[in-house]
Amino acid sequence: MGQLDTLFAPERVAVVGATESDGSVGRAIMENLLDGYVGDVVPINPSSEEVFGLDCYDSLTDVDDVDLAIVVVPPQIVNDVLREAGEMGVQDIAVITAGFGESGSEGAAREQEMRTIADEYDLNLVGPNCLGVLSTSVNMNGTFSPKSAIDGNISFMSQSGAFITAVLDWASDHGVGFNDVVSLGNKAVLDEGDFIDYWGADPDTDVILGYLEDIDNGREFIDTAREVTKDTPIVAVKSGRTEAGASAAASHTGAIAGSERAYEAGLEQAGVLRATSVQELFDYATILEGQSTPDSDEIAIVTNAGGPGVMATDAIGDSGLEMASFTDETLENLEDVMPDGANIYNPVDVLGDAPTERYEDALDIVLDDPNVGTVIVVACPTAVLSFEKLAETLNAKHEEYGVPMAASLMGGDSASDAEEILGEEGIPSYFDPARGVNSLDALREYAEIKTHEYAEPTDFDVDRERAREVLERTKERDTNKLGVEAMELLEAYGIPMPDSAIATNKTEAVQAAGEIDGNVVMKIVSPDILHKSDIGGVEVGVPDDEVADTYDDLIARARNYQPDATILGVQLQEMADLDAGTETIVGINRDPQFGPLVMFGLGGIFVEVLEDATFRVAPVSEPEAEEMIDEIDSAPLLRGARGREPVDEGAVIETIQRISQLVTDFPAILELDINPLVATPEGVSAVDIRLTVDQEEL
Amino acid sequence: MDPILVTSTEEATGKTAVSLAIAKLADQAGHSVGYMKPKGTRLQSATGKTRDEDPMLARQLLNLDSEMHELEPIVYTPTFVQEAIQGRERPEELKDRVLENYEKMADERELMVIEGTDRLVTGGIVDLTDADIAEMLDAKVVLLSRYDEPEDVDDILAAAETLGDSLAGVLFNAVPDSVFDQLTTDVVPFLENRDIPVLGVVPRVQELAGLTVGDLAERLGAEVLTSDASTDLFVERFTVGAMSGESALTQFRRMQNAVMITSGDRPEIITAALEASGIKCIILGGGFRPSNAIVGRAEEEGVPILLLQSDTRMVIDRTEDFLKTGPTRSPATVDRMQELLDDHADVGPLFGVDSAEE
Repeated sequence: MGQLDTLFAPERVAVVGATESDGSVGRAIMENLLDGYVGDVVPINPSSEEVFGLDCYDSLTDVDDVDLAIVVVPPQIVNDVLREAGEMGVQDIAVITAGFGESGSEGAAREQEMRTIADEYDLNLVGPNCLGVLSTSVNMNGTFSPKSAIDGNISFMSQSGAFITAVLDWASDHGVGFNDVVSLGNKAVLDEGDFIDYWGADPDTDVILGYLEDIDNGREFIDTAREVTKDTPIVAVKSGRTEAGASAAASHTGAIAGSERAYEAGLEQAGVLRATSVQELFDYATILEGQSTPDSDEIAIVTNAGGPGVMATDAIGDSGLEMASFTDETLENLEDVMPDGANIYNPVDVLGDAPTERYEDALDIVLDDPNVGTVIVVACPTAVLSFEKLAETLNAKHEEYGVPMAASLMGGDSASDAEEILGEEGIPSYFDPARGVNSLDALREYAEIKTHEYAEPTDFDVDRERAREVLERTKERDTNKLGVEAMELLEAYGIPMPDSAIATNKTEAVQAAGEIDGNVVMKIVSPDILHKSDIGGVEVGVPDDEVADTYDDLIARARNYQPDATILGVQLQEMADLDAGTETIVGINRDPQFGPLVMFGLGGIFVEVLEDATFRVAPVSEPEAEEMIDEIDSAPLLRGARGREPVDEGAVIETIQRISQLVTDFPAILELDINPLVATPEGVSAVDIRLTVDQEEL
Repeated sequence: MDPILVTSTEEATGKTAVSLAIAKLADQAGHSVGYMKPKGTRLQSATGKTRDEDPMLARQLLNLDSEMHELEPIVYTPTFVQEAIQGRERPEELKDRVLENYEKMADERELMVIEGTDRLVTGGIVDLTDADIAEMLDAKVVLLSRYDEPEDVDDILAAAETLGDSLAGVLFNAVPDSVFDQLTTDVVPFLENRDIPVLGVVPRVQELAGLTVGDLAERLGAEVLTSDASTDLFVERFTVGAMSGESALTQFRRMQNAVMITSGDRPEIITAALEASGIKCIILGGGFRPSNAIVGRAEEEGVPILLLQSDTRMVIDRTEDFLKTGPTRSPATVDRMQELLDDHADVGPLFGVDSAEE
């Protein structure tokens, strides 16, 4: 796949399927292109001589130097057109035509063939089943949207074409401009990762926006996005967050929605700002496009009304921002210029009788305070205040101090002219101060993302061959589930575990118990029995002289519970000192989009009932593993809450990374749980394991 | 030559395939062989006339010209059982009917192979269990059994007790790899010590264990929504997609060679199943057609989607039945069983061929 420059800035565009027929897509695209596009437009249609006064050609093979072909012919002949394009050296194609993977069996086969052709000719192909591409850099509207875009520096991709038409319609009324817009369609070839990669390097794109229903190659997306977000923020709305939403998305795209937890972790690891609504998407886009990132997380509020000031303060409490604490100098200066009764502490209340000048005085002092990273200016309409004048002042102050700023001019029509003035300087204004705070918080988050250093995952010295042997045993036994019989896997990856052995008869059990110090834990070994303790498949603290009887009991209980279960024997294990330790769980679950998702939480009720768990897409680096521990609410229990000795956190962090390495090395591992991983002040010990393997991947 | 009766400790042990394979082996050894299934149960016709596939297949494979009602004189339908309990069927008459048909066929043949019904005890209501028939016809009995765990031996001992001297031996069929060694090293000597001969241990093989998706679709009368996804894969078990979308993938990934049954209006469940490599087929009940995008995705993944109009509950019951009864009887099944008997059993002495000659 080549660069996408000519896709968004072609010199010659061919419309294959161009026509003048009323109501047709071919006509809409011709009309849109002829309305201002700076390059050549070449209509292609064997049944026309001329389209809109332009010479019409029979086929792409009759025209030279086409950069971009927009294809609107019926689905049955699209692949023929692509071959012609490939033969003629046309590199960029947008296939508008529907009737591919989204339309059922025949379509899926056509889409498969399309991929093969694109691969053969190295085509940059957008779609199929999409709205097209648009770029204001060459004034090209290669879509069939009734509205085009105004010029701007936001580039936008969407997995829903209809959503683009809606956004274009709305944006032009709200002064939001775009650089490039692309409708992703079925993503047969180009997907979201390709576009962020291109826009990241495109000087005309300041912000990348995406409406996404699924992500094709999650891990690749993370790696690309991390690079891009150093210079260009990416904001995405990922739909299908709820169960009902996921169901609707699955029906729309035919793809499994992927778990919300994976998206949350993956997008965060990618440095993508996640908007929860379309409004947020454009709020974030506007502020990121218009303003620089703040130097500190502290925010100052300047308001002429107490109530809205409190509302803004609450919103700050819910955000990642902090109320700025002013320096003594700031406080003294404010005291000097503010009237009696004004609040000089944050939120600064300039009082209801404040004219623009008083705002100006306060802002001069607050914006000069080195602690202040961002400012929100809240104003309610009063007889002495002109919103327009205030807007001009804010623009001037923003220009003078360069501190990121949002406004909340709390009025209706009276605020709209002022909002337009603020727009010139890129200062957003909202009726609701909370929305302003939220936007500034996005700016803060982006500042954090921009400076984030990503560590490489540690490469531990492990025994891959031995691990492979353990996994391949599943083939011999023709099963895809493994239990404690796979503990060796952990040993191969340097994860500590208690002394243990598996006995397949009573004699072996007695012998094994003799070799383990003290009483033992005995557990049924069966990949088919998931909750061993629920069926009485676990006995704790068995003395040596009861081992034989316990062996029989365990086998009998397992057989009664699940007669068809494969029973491999009984595991005898050294007793873990649970009183001195804390039970944790480390697990992975392979997400269809992002790959292995590593989970960490505390055992018992914490993960299962309270869902107090944290997730990362593997491979997990050391700082990320540290963050995982920090993130769970129950972390204090590991750190010596209620007088206990803190556990060896380093050992937990290392285990998380080693598991991450194991599942990255072996894509065949679909799921793996170490439950519990007992953490003590001396280290960790993996007591039980369960995994599911995809034999076809081995 | 004494007739051979094939019976079993439980249903679905492969009686038909074994009976016909023995018959064909005997045929190849130069004997003229006949077949009979005194009591039929696999009905496809509600009118009571047998539509059992077993005798039909026997007729085809052994070139028999007998009528169906001769091959299968008693049709053991629920109605029949009810009437027998109410005393409206007379055991003596039934016995005569069996004997009469048997003799008519046996007269022209050197060897008769008799296929038993369901389980050894089936038919007790009219005094016509497989053991009763064996005694009546003086047959040597081959007792088929599966083997999953040592407790299965209890059933074999009970059956041996019932059959007494008629028992020619036990033939283990469809034995999973995981217990094959245990069976041959521990169980077989145990039985032989009790004077119960073991004729062979036939391992479980995929072609005989599972149904193909195509078979299943045909038997269910399902509409196959996908066109290119292969329907030749074998399926052995099913799972029902009734969980939340979130936990579906985890559960489906634990399945192997499985069919996933759900309602067509659960796209999140269907797409999760398409993601799990152990799910080889999706069956949708309730007549809800999934979106074209989903069908397209299934095609890409090579997983066929079958659609049924009946409600999902019914689809589950019927699928369970078909998976339990195993593959459709076909000449290929019998051929494969013949190979397996050749390799893993010693049935020659039953029809006068020494094991040494094999």
